[in-house]
Amino acid sequence: MTKGIRNYIGIAAILACSFGSQAFAQERGCIVLKSVAEQEKEVVNAKGEKTRQLVAASKIVPGMEVVWTVTANNICKVPSEKVTINNPVPEHMSYVANSAFGAGSDITYSLDGKTFAAPAELSVTENGARRQARADEYRHIRWVFRSPLQPGASAVARFRAVLN
Amino acid sequence: MQSLRFGAAIVTVALALGLSSNEARAVGADAGSTISNTATVDYTVGTVTTTASSNTVNVTVAEILNVAVGAPAAATPVAPGQAAQRLRFRVENTGNGQESFLLTLTSVVTGDDFDPVAAAPSIYLDNGDGVFGAGDVPYVPGTNDPLLNEDGFVYVFVAHNIPSAVTDGQDGFVTLTAAARTGTGPAGTVFAGQGAAGTDAVVGTSTGTQTAQGIYSVQGVTVTATKSQTVNDPFGGNRALPGATIHYSVAVNAVGSGSASTVIFTDKIPAGTEYVAGSLRRNGSPLSDATDADIGEYETTPDPQVKVRIGSLQQSDGTQTITFDVTIKTTN
Repeated sequence: MTKGIRNYIGIAAILACSFGSQAFAQERGCIVLKSVAEQEKEVVNAKGEKTRQLVAASKIVPGMEVVWTVTANNICKVPSEKVTINNPVPEHMSYVANSAFGAGSDITYSLDGKTFAAPAELSVTENGARRQARADEYRHIRWVFRSPLQPGASAVARFRAVLN
Repeated sequence: MQSLRFGAAIVTVALALGLSSNEARAVGADAGSTISNTATVDYTVGTVTTTASSNTVNVTVAEILNVAVGAPAAATPVAPGQAAQRLRFRVENTGNGQESFLLTLTSVVTGDDFDPVAAAPSIYLDNGDGVFGAGDVPYVPGTNDPLLNEDGFVYVFVAHNIPSAVTDGQDGFVTLTAAARTGTGPAGTVFAGQGAAGTDAVVGTSTGTQTAQGIYSVQGVTVTATKSQTVNDPFGGNRALPGATIHYSVAVNAVGSGSASTVIFTDKIPAGTEYVAGSLRRNGSPLSDATDADIGEYETTPDPQVKVRIGSLQQSDGTQTITFDVTIKTTN
């Protein structure tokens, strides 16, 4: 059901409150950045239909996917330009192929945190031969937003990673 | 008369150390460890470029309950009536935290030909060398349940007596089950606060328990000897006269799927006859009379006899023909 997303936003809002004071204390800039870890959970609604909802991540065990969502909120009265979100793939986790998402952004990946490129351009050397890097070898993800972030607006970057 | 001695009819197959394919690899992130994430953002307002960090999200890894039980890849050969025959299983903690496991042995399993009888004690925990020995301790459920670290494993020996009524080619199945002490159930079952390091414990895809099967396979063998003789008298005939030579030929055969170990053929020289020096042969090849490196000898005490240490013998070896000559004494 479509409510899943709305529920997620609700949770994000609650978390925003809980982290808000800390974030504001740290940031004197225009963008407040917030990171949230969630799990997708299958629920059965009143009609008996199975749907998936995002709930706060707890009881994470190996093999389980975590949905990481980073929200950039412009709290200034002027637009922010060249908004770029960087997120390392957390330690002990592997990026899930094709899971990175961010409306209005160009997404690139990195194996070393320095060079970012599209998947087709990332390669590793294995047994003396070059091959295209696998998604689980990406260690960093970068979202470059094409349009300025307007006052009061939010940009969302999201990816999934599985716990090793 | 000739006699045959042979050890327990056991195929001396090297113990298969390989593990069955259900062995799973444990996973990486330890129970109780923390997964952290901090994102950063770069942006430009006017001409000023700023970098900011997000809050740091910490997620604690819960304990996943998983276990893999591996049985020997090959059946263990046994003979009817043998006591305390052992199978070696391998129990591995494929979860991500320290866990103890309850072991359960089942000796009556459907689909086999006979039921091995659990010996007492029937389960031993290996001392780490992988070989059954004096250092291995009997397992007592609830008392010395193996406590295994993540990726840790223990070899478990189970001991059974083989009924005497079983026959060649029959199989007896037994199973060993290991179950996480914290709990078992459908994958995803949660045991709140009961995991390693105070985390929740979550049942993994193994359902927290696994069973593996081992096989005792009866491989019997019967060794037979058939003796024949030819007499040549000094006058060109076949009469058993003093001075005549008796040529003995003994056909030794193994019948069955197993292998007889340390087969020793002995045949007393009949009274009133004398062994013909140097006449002992196996399959036509001479064997020296002396007790030495070759497998045959002529012995004089306590009674004169020929002996051939055939060693391991199985059906595929075919007939072993032992021949020797004696002469009938002219005076007693």
